[in-house]
Amino acid sequence: MKLFSAAALSVAVLLGSTVSALAVERGGVMTYGRYADSLFLDPVLNDANVDIWILTNMYDTLLMPTDDGKGVQPGLASDYKMADDGLSVTLTLRDGIKFSDGSPITPDDVIFSLGRATNPDNGIWGFLISSIASVESPDPKTIVIKLSRPDPAIIPALTVFNTAIMPKAAFEAAAGTTDAEKAEAFSQKPVGSGPFVLDSWDRGATMKLVKNPYYWDMGEDGQPLPYLDGVTFEIIPDDATRILRLQSGEIDGAEFIPFARVAELQAADGINMQLFPSTKVNDIIINVRPQIEGKDNPLSNPLVRQAMNYAANKEAIVQIVTMGVGTPLSSFMSTATPLHSGDGPLFPYDVEKAKALMVEAGYADGFSTSILTLAGNQDDAGIATALQQMWGAIGINLEIKQVDNASRTEQYRGGTFEMRTGGWTDDIADPSEITSYFAYSPTIDALHSGWKSEEVDALFEASQSETDPAKRAEQYARIQEIFNSEGPTVALFETPYPVALSTKVQGFNQIPLGNNIFRAAWLEK
Amino acid sequence: MPLTEFIVRRLLQLIPTLIFILIVVFVLVRLLPGDPTSAILGDRGTDADIARINRQLGIDQPIWVQFWLFVKSVMSLDFGNSIVLKRPVTELIAQRLPITVALTLLAALISVLLAVPLAFVAALRRDKLADNAIRGAFQVGLSMPVFYLGLILLTVFGARLHWFPVGGYGDTFFDRLYHLILPATTLALSLSAILMRNLRAAIIGVVDAEYVSFARAKGLAPRLILIRHVLRNALISTVTLFGLSIGTLLGGAVITETVFAIPGAGRLMVDSIYGRDYPVVQGLTIALAVLVSVTFLLTDLLQAYLDPRVAR
Amino acid sequence: MTALPRIRLTRLPRPLIIGGTILGISLILALFPAAFAPYDPLAFDYGALNQAPSMAHPFGTDNFGRDVLSRIIHAYRVDMQIAIFATVFAFSFGTIIGALVGYVGGRVEALFGRLVDAIITFPFLVLVIAIVSVLGPGLINMYIAVSVVGWVFYARIIAAEIKVQKRLDYADAGRAMGYTHLRIIFRHLLPNAITPAVVYWMTDMALAILLGSSLGYLGLGAQPPAAEWGVQIADGKNFMSTAWWISVFPGFAIILTGLGFSLLGDGLAEVMRARK
Repeated sequence: MKLFSAAALSVAVLLGSTVSALAVERGGVMTYGRYADSLFLDPVLNDANVDIWILTNMYDTLLMPTDDGKGVQPGLASDYKMADDGLSVTLTLRDGIKFSDGSPITPDDVIFSLGRATNPDNGIWGFLISSIASVESPDPKTIVIKLSRPDPAIIPALTVFNTAIMPKAAFEAAAGTTDAEKAEAFSQKPVGSGPFVLDSWDRGATMKLVKNPYYWDMGEDGQPLPYLDGVTFEIIPDDATRILRLQSGEIDGAEFIPFARVAELQAADGINMQLFPSTKVNDIIINVRPQIEGKDNPLSNPLVRQAMNYAANKEAIVQIVTMGVGTPLSSFMSTATPLHSGDGPLFPYDVEKAKALMVEAGYADGFSTSILTLAGNQDDAGIATALQQMWGAIGINLEIKQVDNASRTEQYRGGTFEMRTGGWTDDIADPSEITSYFAYSPTIDALHSGWKSEEVDALFEASQSETDPAKRAEQYARIQEIFNSEGPTVALFETPYPVALSTKVQGFNQIPLGNNIFRAAWLEK
Repeated sequence: MPLTEFIVRRLLQLIPTLIFILIVVFVLVRLLPGDPTSAILGDRGTDADIARINRQLGIDQPIWVQFWLFVKSVMSLDFGNSIVLKRPVTELIAQRLPITVALTLLAALISVLLAVPLAFVAALRRDKLADNAIRGAFQVGLSMPVFYLGLILLTVFGARLHWFPVGGYGDTFFDRLYHLILPATTLALSLSAILMRNLRAAIIGVVDAEYVSFARAKGLAPRLILIRHVLRNALISTVTLFGLSIGTLLGGAVITETVFAIPGAGRLMVDSIYGRDYPVVQGLTIALAVLVSVTFLLTDLLQAYLDPRVAR
Repeated sequence: MTALPRIRLTRLPRPLIIGGTILGISLILALFPAAFAPYDPLAFDYGALNQAPSMAHPFGTDNFGRDVLSRIIHAYRVDMQIAIFATVFAFSFGTIIGALVGYVGGRVEALFGRLVDAIITFPFLVLVIAIVSVLGPGLINMYIAVSVVGWVFYARIIAAEIKVQKRLDYADAGRAMGYTHLRIIFRHLLPNAITPAVVYWMTDMALAILLGSSLGYLGLGAQPPAAEWGVQIADGKNFMSTAWWISVFPGFAIILTGLGFSLLGDGLAEVMRARK
């Protein structure tokens, strides 16, 4: 942190983060209002953002993302070096690092943790570190990760939650026989390597984290982090209630502020309305298969998709749905994603061009289609309602179907949907994850759209072992060019993370990957 | 019929009801589109991931195997483990259901305290100012969507006046009771409006009926008429309605729980339906059914007391 | 049962007249919304997002720039449908079953009791969400879900009343006169027992509109862009502090319509009592 403080500070000022020049004050418990509770706090077996976005407070990784979420800084390892052949990474563990129970963090724990993470039977995140062949420790300070192929994304992958370091002895001592059973027992009273450790958890209501007294990193005052004695998460699902509790001083921060309330809270006394840069993108996913359930699918025609893109007034949608907080997308990936390319909004609004394209495609009279949106999600409903109106202008009759997540996912995976709303956030500071899901057809058929580009698939495969950053950037520029012009989506907008904090709160950060970072947060008395 | 026999018979009757519910809920949750795995993994799971996790969870087994396992788990009063939360269902129910029960009881209490006296005032001053004012006020309460009413109460009595906490759920018994007052009032306003209307109509019906005139003719004192005849007879249908409403409240407090950030069973139920968390939906449905049945039993006992003709 | 020709208009109870008038106007608005709405309820106006009430837009505009008044008027069609279709099957079916069961009693009643228990004890939201998820979202599936449960309420109310009524002297008189059971039930007992069910029905119609709004909050009710009061309120919730008019005016519409149903219920109850 010290090494990077100058850079971090300038970035923070730039981003309007809450790092402050004030002398830090220690102590106190920060209460943070969340929209939903976590489900299962295991670094490897979790599935959802509600887990991922707070896990890094409990388990440290060998390396850590920088505050802007794009770079890498040392974590439990003080130093890392990629071999010249790109086939191994050598890391040096810090001196005297300990778990929250006071036991030392050893290479054995690292080997164990990475072994769990790479085991194909565990969880769904193994693909991020699929290049790891073995993990070795030549001496008690050194970790050598051997790779099966050169992997340009392996360094950022070592900052991702699933590579977090867990205590081997304590985990294996937990009740149960299988890894899943042990993980369940262990997560009841976990021992962690992060700045905080779980103290109590009243499901659906409150989760209490307390300070890890053995945490390795030092604060600005030369004492160990974290500054806070603890963090308490209160689960407050209703947006309005979450804001009310913040306004009445019962909590110190609230996540997922509806965009409709941002301007009002920016003007409110005692509240610091933050818009943390994010990798969140919103789009419409289109099923481009020639036929859907035996019926001809007009959406398979690239001209139709282009027409829909031109007819969608992104600026207006940004105004209606995000009250101007969002920005129209310039590529399928967010501007906060490394190797993003594209300067202007995609498909500037042009109804005449859209109509011409519809005629050219042979759909001068339009057609009927449908979109699946998430029931109860106001942003989704707003986007679909706006598109219904806008596409009506080029003869497309859009039926909105509000369904719950599982129903939508079933139609999505089954390829029986016509369109759906989509949202995505990166988990790693690298473009490979989003590209693998969006554009590389072998993963999930390019967002289950049935879209396939031989060129994109080949470029992606090449980029996965491309160690020359310039060449990799070129590959990604070309992938984005192809996907953005003829891909299976209507790119809409990207949005920051709207977080409202009490003005007492300093040093809190939500990085573009979504992780809530409390390690350097403190409360003004 | 002696009271104990009545109760025992009712409890025995509960068994087929529960078996019916058990089958229906088992089938119903599996009719829902999607499965727990895709509900959890959402967009990110690959087909291979989903197949592997389904296997690990045992939901790729034939349906009759799953049903047999379910029946076995119910027999041993253990509803298995939550797929999403990885905790025993019984533990989750023990944590969350009492909160909803407390909320419902408090709401029932408040609604009776509001509805019964005001219904009498309204009925006996039929079409006068008091009647119109009471009915108008209840009508407004009845016509407000719960999430809107809750938000207004929170804003006024929580954030502005600081009389009550803004949602959440306290630590100690009295603190929790304090936290439950606003949400219980929110629930109670619509319930009491229904009760008040029904009771008012019933009182008017009874007052107009022949047997009250007959009692008057017999020379019974008006006060005695009111208590012995009117209240008893008027309450019959209201008690039925009350029992039914409590049942609805137990399973339907989800929106109130959401607005007031109360970790009750309603929220657990809806989250579990959306998450296709079969064991939790099954366990919670059975638990709620038992609770509601007990409520009905109590309602019937009360009704039998009010009108001995009902329970022969 | 609603044969009222012998009662002169001037002698109708006042609640019936007021409630009937409110609902009559509601019905006209529901049938011919386009004749009264100043704007297209679905038309966006990007130049007029979230505008406060003015001469041009008496109830303001919403976050899409749609005219709130026009949406409220068009919502009459949807909400009156909800009020009627979500309850009418439950009322008719429940009343008939309740009357039969209450009259016959014995084994039939015991069996009915089990069925009622099973249906009522089954958590309502599970059923609604399940039915809507399986059949797809939309109002018709909501009517189905509500009716599957709703009839039981009427049946229980009626059965309890009939049980009391059939022990009264006039039922015995009917039997002594040799009337058929059906005639005794539907001509003699039911008219006397139905009042609480009718009163409840009127409340239930108002409740159906509210249930629609709750389902709108969960995204399971009326589908966008259709205007529906509950959905309007749910959508306007986030704007309560900045654009109160989006949610408050639809709220008034619900209250007014609910009042209409309640007054009509009270009025009908009076008329029926007067006929005894």
